[in-house]
Amino acid sequence: MDNAVYVGLSRQMILRRELDIIANNVANADTVGFKVESLMARTEPAAPAETFGAPKPVKFVLDAGVARDFGQGALFTTGSDLDLGIEGDGFFEVTTEEGARYTRDGRFRLDELGRIVTQAGDPVSGDGGGEIIVNPQDGAVTIAADGTVSQGENAIGKIAVMRFDDLSALEKAGDNLLRNVSNLQPEAAPDVRVRQGMLEGSNVKPILEITRLIEVTRAYESVTRMMESTADLSRRAVERMGRAN
Amino acid sequence: MQALRTAATGMSAQQLNVEVISNNIANMNTVGFKKQRAEFQDLLYHTIERAGAQSSEQGTIVPAGVQIGGGVKAGSVYRITEQGAVTNTGNPYDLAVEGRGFFQVLMPSGETAYTRAGNFSLNADGQLVTEDGYEIQPAIAVPNDATSIAVSKSGQVQAIRAGQTEAEVVGQIELATFVNDAGLEAIGDNLLMETAASGPANVGAPGADGFGTLLQGYTEASNVDAVTEITALIVAQRAYEMNSKVISAADEMLQAANAVKS
Repeated sequence: MDNAVYVGLSRQMILRRELDIIANNVANADTVGFKVESLMARTEPAAPAETFGAPKPVKFVLDAGVARDFGQGALFTTGSDLDLGIEGDGFFEVTTEEGARYTRDGRFRLDELGRIVTQAGDPVSGDGGGEIIVNPQDGAVTIAADGTVSQGENAIGKIAVMRFDDLSALEKAGDNLLRNVSNLQPEAAPDVRVRQGMLEGSNVKPILEITRLIEVTRAYESVTRMMESTADLSRRAVERMGRAN
Repeated sequence: MQALRTAATGMSAQQLNVEVISNNIANMNTVGFKKQRAEFQDLLYHTIERAGAQSSEQGTIVPAGVQIGGGVKAGSVYRITEQGAVTNTGNPYDLAVEGRGFFQVLMPSGETAYTRAGNFSLNADGQLVTEDGYEIQPAIAVPNDATSIAVSKSGQVQAIRAGQTEAEVVGQIELATFVNDAGLEAIGDNLLMETAASGPANVGAPGADGFGTLLQGYTEASNVDAVTEITALIVAQRAYEMNSKVISAADEMLQAANAVKS
């Protein structure tokens, strides 16, 4: 009998986790390059219940993983020379103290040495490694669709755009960065277009998130109700048995 | 419940966004003002189940892990140093920079501050000063019998004295550029200070390679675009509302949990 309560509990735990993920999506609805996530649930068959005459095994709900939607976010213009948006499947490569990180957030700037860096000051990798150094005295920076950086007539480097065969190799590391957690090596993405003066908005669809939010709240309520009626049932059973005595 | 805290980070981020937007709108008519933009980043992720972990002795692996994000934070508030429109004022001491470069201002403390606001005037000694009376660097002294002054594109200041026909050079205005303009620190009064992030100032005459030119009788208007700001304000307000909706949903769920009868 108590199994019903435990099944309900497992569902409630997953619903709470799902709410956490929705909250993170909504909080990042305005974060450049953010990719929406959702929780995948699965059922876990447990050992058959120990009540008499229960033929079916009880199934609990468990979280199977977080699905990340790497779909393109909308590009919008900003007018800033070092704002870059990626059109297609690819990532910028950033060299941090902890190693290479990947990002779709193209809000770059120059640091005091003239290197192209991220918000956090980590240098953006050029094609084949290395940094891209701009001399501000040489005029405006132009970045072509293939990532070539030029000032006036001189090409001074090329911004690396990498892709992964399997996107599940990547794990979020915060600060809009992704970390490669597999042995998979990224490769250059030649068919991807870099757009200068544009940024990729987050691909969170607010209406979907709010709908899921309502769904989660209601599902939580109905599981609570189910648990209540289960408790009711056992209370009534106890009362009746008490009368038979 | 994590969702409550996550939504709270979303609300405080949007609040910061509104603060930055309102400062932009408030400075829509400030000479030489550069608009700012709040930049957001996602917070750290809490890994509950790691992708790629072994799920059996046979070497099968978990294809997708479970990571739960902690919300959003403000990465930085970035200054967009786009050129503002130049507006005609008719005042001979008003100067606008077209292109890169800042005027250098000598602060009372002896430090040098930098500004794009070129609405200058003369003080009692005939020195070219800012609205607050701070001298610009290098100092320009206009003789008190000057009948007219002219500032060339390249920053040369010439004055014609009373009773004379020949112009006389009285000074040279110099501009400063930085590798990373956005790294300068605003100290109010349209002034900016050099920081480690901006790199050292590179001083030169207007019109030289990498420096903008001067325009006399004009000032540079703020580069705030009202339509963009209002749109950003609407987005921020709605995002704030959505985050508050998440808080009430989390609250409702907690309420449902509390209402369970034993």
